[in-house]
Amino acid sequence: MRLELTANGDPYRREIEPDATLLDVLRDVIGLTGTKWGCKTGDCGACTVLVDGQPVVSCLQLACQVDGRAVTTVEGLGPDGDLGDLQAAFVRYGGAQCGFCTPGMLVSAEALLRHNPAPTEAEVREALAGNLCRCTGYNKIVDAVLETAQSRATA
Amino acid sequence: MPELYVPKGLDDAVAFMAAHAGAALPIAGGTDVLIDTRVGRASAEWLVDLSPLGALAGLERDGETLHIGALTRIRTLELDRELARSAPALVEAARVLGSVQIRTMATVGGNLCHATPSAEMPPALLVHEGEADAVGPEGTRSFALAELFAGPGRTTLRPGELLAGVRVRVPSASAGSCYLRQTVRWSMDLAGVGVAAAVEVEGTTVTAARVALGAVAPVPLLVPEAADAVVGGELTDESAAEAGVRAAAACSPISDARGTAEYRRDVTAVLVRRALRIAWLRATGSWPAGALAPINGVLPEEAA
Repeated sequence: MRLELTANGDPYRREIEPDATLLDVLRDVIGLTGTKWGCKTGDCGACTVLVDGQPVVSCLQLACQVDGRAVTTVEGLGPDGDLGDLQAAFVRYGGAQCGFCTPGMLVSAEALLRHNPAPTEAEVREALAGNLCRCTGYNKIVDAVLETAQSRATA
Repeated sequence: MPELYVPKGLDDAVAFMAAHAGAALPIAGGTDVLIDTRVGRASAEWLVDLSPLGALAGLERDGETLHIGALTRIRTLELDRELARSAPALVEAARVLGSVQIRTMATVGGNLCHATPSAEMPPALLVHEGEADAVGPEGTRSFALAELFAGPGRTTLRPGELLAGVRVRVPSASAGSCYLRQTVRWSMDLAGVGVAAAVEVEGTTVTAARVALGAVAPVPLLVPEAADAVVGGELTDESAAEAGVRAAAACSPISDARGTAEYRRDVTAVLVRRALRIAWLRATGSWPAGALAPINGVLPEEAA
């Protein structure tokens, strides 16, 4: 079947299998491999992307259900070839080690900051509850998100 | 993987479901169905994509009745500020389900029809006197929501029938509700015990009450004899505790990774007491409007 969507502002039109997930399409059809395949059961959050600004786990999202909609992946969080402010904060705070969870973390955090520009620490932890990290212990990630919220508020 | 059918409308979806009874599975948010089909917990030749049926999504208020379309996302309930004041149990159940991502995708109808005994929404909808609206080949029918659940993973929907929505009663004033749960983790966990309570009050007398339990029986359970313990007077610590004891006696929990049957029974009694207390505080205007309860219902003075 035919699928049309925009990913990070770029329009795509592709033939896909009707049962393809958005994760399959992003990684294997379009070639945006920043979005990671972790558990494929919606538990780990590594495949989180935004659909019309709302965070979803793309491994449980049928691609056909997002026909005509706007998808944002980790590749769309910064200017081409450079880091966005949230990504730079993750680097400064050491919010990434192995890096596998990082794309999903960044997308979930970005969704939070758009919805709630001044979150409390508890709200950050709640927003990231669906993103598992086995390396950092979360504190540095939470600090990076809180600092980004502050710096956006004063920018 | 099964084939996908995208219906042209609700009638078409029902006709297709009926023509492929036993071989077709409706899919909405996909957060349960795609996992089930992947791991072999469910098998179907067809998935019927309900997402184009936009008319089944959203909330509609009509006096004391709130109609919740089956395709309404859990996140929509969670973020509804008016609902946090008028039917807080629904918001408190919605906000602890899965993660933000799962709540953004998952639908109320899916949470009900997947019929997981530990599902969050059923107890909250039951204490708000939920009525199910189903559409099938023979037309529409309505029934008490409690009758939807036949057992773990099984509903009483007939071949070809789809849940269109659920109607709940949201009393306009002097009423309160609450949903609490016990889990090992605050997020991304299934309820070990889920409890919803609602009370209606005239002056200082409880005139009606409802208690519903999740995760402690094969189906979500309304326990009228527990609710009766607080009706007819002021809600006291003693009457709320008695309701808890009756609820614990009425449930039939299993032992699994989330707790032993004995533990779940004890927790049921405690959560029923706390949920009734919070519902009472709300009904009597002693609770900040729109503020949600702690997930396990421990109030500051109780924790001290």
